[in-house]
Amino acid sequence: MALLGPLFLLGLLGVAIPLWLHRLETQVTEREPFATTMFLEPAKKRIHVKKKLKYLLLMALRILFFVLLVLAFARPVFYAPPQAIVTEESTHHVIVMDTSFSMQTEGYFDAAREAAENILSQMEDDDIASLYSASTNVASVVSATSNPEDIRQGVDALAPGNGKLDLGSMISSLNTMIEASQANFVLHVISDFQQTGQAVRFADMIPDVINGRPVSLEIVRVVNESPENWAIDSVVVNGLNNIEVGIRGFARSSSDRTVSLSVNGELQQEIETRLQGEGITFVTFENAVFAEGDNRLDIRLTPSDSLAGDDLRHTVFDNSPPAPVLLLTDDEDSLGVTYITAALETAPRGYEVILQSIEGLDPRILQRYPWIVIEDIGAINASLAGAINNYISGGGAVLAASGESVFGLSSIPVLGLDISSSALGRESRNPITMIDSSHPALSESAGWSSVNVRSIPVEITDEDRVLVAQANEQPVLLERTIGRGKIMLLATALDNSLSDLPVKPVFVTFMAEAARYLSNENLLIREQIGESFLQLSVAGGASGQVYDPDGESLLSLADTTQAQDISLDKTGYYQVFTSGGEVLVAVNPDRRESDLAIMDAQVLQNWQNVVAGTARSDEQSLNAESVTQEEALEEREIWRLFLFMLVIIVLAESILGNQHLRVKTGTL
Amino acid sequence: MSTNTDNRPAPMRLLDPSVLSTMSNLELVAKAVVEGFVIGLHRSPKFGFSQEFVEYRQYADGDDPRYIDWNVYSRTDRTVIKRFKGETNSHLMLLLDTSASMGYGSGESSKLQYGKYLGASLAYLAARQHDAVGVMLFDDEVKEYRPPASKPGSLQGVIHTLDAAQASKGTDINQPMTRFREHIKKRGLVAVISDFYCDAEELLENIRPLALHGQDVIMFHLLDREEITPEIKQSTLYEDMETGQAIEVEPAFMQKAYRDKIQKHIASIEKAANGIRADHVLLDTSEPLDKALHNYLTFREKRG
Repeated sequence: MALLGPLFLLGLLGVAIPLWLHRLETQVTEREPFATTMFLEPAKKRIHVKKKLKYLLLMALRILFFVLLVLAFARPVFYAPPQAIVTEESTHHVIVMDTSFSMQTEGYFDAAREAAENILSQMEDDDIASLYSASTNVASVVSATSNPEDIRQGVDALAPGNGKLDLGSMISSLNTMIEASQANFVLHVISDFQQTGQAVRFADMIPDVINGRPVSLEIVRVVNESPENWAIDSVVVNGLNNIEVGIRGFARSSSDRTVSLSVNGELQQEIETRLQGEGITFVTFENAVFAEGDNRLDIRLTPSDSLAGDDLRHTVFDNSPPAPVLLLTDDEDSLGVTYITAALETAPRGYEVILQSIEGLDPRILQRYPWIVIEDIGAINASLAGAINNYISGGGAVLAASGESVFGLSSIPVLGLDISSSALGRESRNPITMIDSSHPALSESAGWSSVNVRSIPVEITDEDRVLVAQANEQPVLLERTIGRGKIMLLATALDNSLSDLPVKPVFVTFMAEAARYLSNENLLIREQIGESFLQLSVAGGASGQVYDPDGESLLSLADTTQAQDISLDKTGYYQVFTSGGEVLVAVNPDRRESDLAIMDAQVLQNWQNVVAGTARSDEQSLNAESVTQEEALEEREIWRLFLFMLVIIVLAESILGNQHLRVKTGTL
Repeated sequence: MSTNTDNRPAPMRLLDPSVLSTMSNLELVAKAVVEGFVIGLHRSPKFGFSQEFVEYRQYADGDDPRYIDWNVYSRTDRTVIKRFKGETNSHLMLLLDTSASMGYGSGESSKLQYGKYLGASLAYLAARQHDAVGVMLFDDEVKEYRPPASKPGSLQGVIHTLDAAQASKGTDINQPMTRFREHIKKRGLVAVISDFYCDAEELLENIRPLALHGQDVIMFHLLDREEITPEIKQSTLYEDMETGQAIEVEPAFMQKAYRDKIQKHIASIEKAANGIRADHVLLDTSEPLDKALHNYLTFREKRG
C-alpha cells in the first residue's frame, strides 16, 4: 500500500485524545464510596473483564475513528493483481478485433463477431480472456476476466471506425498493454488482414514474450477473397472553379457509376461515368458555384459498393478573396518588389499585393492591413518609423528586408538595432547554418541550407529572437515582439544583390508561411483522416470549441480555455471555433483502407509460425514472471472504503457511548 | 388520665434525622429531640423525667449545691437536697466513633451526623436528670476527651465537642479504649456510638475491661440503610472510605451474600455485647432517634 498524501499521517497524533479521555474516565467516574469493603467480595472475573472490555471497545472505536480519518485524507492506494485467478496451466486469450475502416465492408464485422464467439465458446474453465480493439490506435475494451459474458458484451459494443490498422503498430501497442498473468498467452487477431495493413518491417509484427509467458498467435481472417471496391481518391479545385475528382478502382472489371457534386449540402452536378477496374478515373465538374469563405464539397458515388464509406468524400474549399498586403518600397520597379509580389500571389491562400511608395505614404492607411511588407527598411525615415512602431504596438505585423539603403545608417529604423560598421562591406555571401524550425514561419526549413546570404551585421538585443543565422552567428532573420504586434527582420535584401534567397524555391514557402503567421491565420490542415487528432493550439488560438459532424460540442466549458487535442472519430465536417474565427475541417477515411486486397496466405502462415517460435522455456518464463507481474499490478485507491468505515465507526461509537452514559446514572 | 400527646405530630417529626439535618445548632437539635421525646413519654411511671418530688435527703459533700432546698433551710436550718423520681446522680460518658466510615450516608445525614444528634440528645437528657456528662471522640486514637461533669456549662461543652467532630481516619478501637480505661475512675454509664466495623472478638476484648470495672455499657450500632439492605442494579466499583481499596461487586452478591454477612456481623457484635452484659442497640440512620432514646432510658432504668 502507498499513500498519496503522507503528510496527513501527522493527524495520527490525534489518537492521544481518546487515550487521554479514557484515562480520566477510569479514574474519576467509576468508583462509588462505601463505608467499608470488609464484607464485600470482588465480582467474578468475567464481569470485571466485560465491563473493562466495554470501555476498551469504546476507546478502540475512537482511536479507529482517528486512524481512519487520517488514512482517508492520506489517500492510500494499494496494488492489486488482475481480478482473474489463473494458474500456469491457464490460457489467456487476448482477442484483438480489427475496427479499422475496411471492416465496414459488408459482412466483415459480423464475421468478426462470430469468430470472437467461437473463441469464447472454446474457453476452458480456468482460462481467461481480454478484448482489445485495433485501428489507428489500440484500446483495451475488456480487461482480463474469466467470465466470457463480459467479453461478449464488449464485442457487441464494438463497431468499425474510420481509422487505419497497421499490424506492426498494433503488436507494438499490445506489447505494452496486455496485463500480467501466469497464463499462457494466445493472441487471437480477428481482421481482414489487408495488404496495406502489413508492417513495413516483418519483424515489427512479432510480439514480445508477454510477461515472460509463451505466446502463440491465432490468425482469424474474416474474409477469404476481397470484394471489388471503388473510392474517391482526390478532389482538386482549380482556378476556373472546375473540380477534378479522381476515383480509384480496386477491381478486376469496370463499373458504371454516377458521380455527384454537392456544395454546402446542395446537389449541383451529376456525371455518369464508367470507372476503371484498376487505376484512377478522373471526372471534372465544371463551373461549380461556391459561396464566399469555406465551402463543403461532397463528392458521392452511386450506387454504393460493398464498402460504402469511401464512396463519399468530404472536402473543404476556401473561397475567400485574396487578402490585401501592403508592400512599402522606395522603388516600385525593383527586383525585390517583383520577387515579393510573385511569392505572395502564388501562396496557397492567395494575397493581393498593394504597392505603396514610401515617399507618398499616409501612415493612417497602415491600420487597414493586418500585416505589411517593407522592401528596404533603410528607406524608412524617422517619422514613418514612429508610425510603424505605433502600428506594430497596436497589433500589426511587419516583414522587413534590409536593402542597400541600410548601408548608410548606424542603426536599423523601427528596431533601433546598431549596425556594426567595422564589419560592414567585408562579408561575402555565406551559407545558412542555423534555422529555428520550431517557428511557425520556418516549418518547411529544408531549402534554407542551400541559401547564401550577405547579411547586414546587426547587434541584437535580448528582445530579439534569432530565427536564421550564419556560421559566425550573424543573424539573417530575427523577430521582435513590440506591444501586441511583431516584426520580422531579414538582415539582407530581397533582391538578388545581397543573397540568392529570392531565387530559391524555399523563398515562396517562406513567404507563404510568414504571411500566414504574420496575418494570424490558423495553421489547421483542412482535410484530415479518420481517428487522427486535431490540435487546437494551431487553430489560431489556444482555446476554442469544436462541433463534430453531428453538431455535438466536444469540449466542456472548462476545456474550452485550454489547448486540446481532439480525436476525429467521425467522417464529415468538424466546425472549429477559435478566437481567430470559424474553420471547417473535413474528415475522411484513410485512403489506404479502401484497398481491400488481403495479405497472402503464406505470409500469414509465416507470421503465425514465427510467433510460435518465440516462446521461451517454462523455467525462463517463471523467472521473468516475478519481475513482470509486480510491474503489472493495478493501482487502486481505497480512501472511499475508509470513509464508509468511518461512518460505521461513528454510529457504533455513538451507540456504545450512549450505553455507557446510561450505566453511570443507573448505579446505586 | 390519658391524652393524645403520644400522637402529636410536630415533636415526633422533630426526631426524624431528615428534619434534624436542617437545624444547624446541635444544642437546639438535642433540646428539640429530648423535649419532644419527653412529652411523648407522657409522664410514664416507668421513667423519672417528670420532675416529680420523691424525698429529701441530707446534703453531703460532693452534692451539687444547686439542688439544696433553700425553703427548708430557712425554716429548719437544715441543708437538705430534693430528690426527684428517676434521678440517679450518676454520670454518662459518650464515646463517639469519628472514623472515616462514619462519614458514609446515602441520605441527608451521615452516620457521624446521626451519631452527633444521638450523642447531643443523650447528653441533654442526662443533664436534665442531673447526670454528669462527658465525651470522647475517637477513630484509631483519642481525638478529643472531655471528662464527665455536671457543672453549669458542661453540657454546652459536650455538645460543642460533638459538634466539632469530623470523620477522618480508620477505626482501631483498641488504643482509644485503653486510653479511656486509664481516664475513667468512677462507675457510670458508657454509651459507645459507632458503626463497629471491627472484629467482634477485638471489640469484646476492649469492652470487657469496662464491664469488669463496673461501667454499664450501651453500644449504639449505627448503620446506614444502604449498608444493611443495599440495592444496586448492576456491577459497581466500591471504594473503601477508610482504606481507599476498590472492589467491584455485582448486584447478586449485594442482594444476598452481603446482607447475610452484615447480619452475621451485627449478630456477632450483639453477641459480644451480651457476653459482657452490655446493651446493643442497632440503629438505622434513616429512622428517628426516639428508638435510641427509648433504649437508653430502658437501659438506664435497668441499671439505675
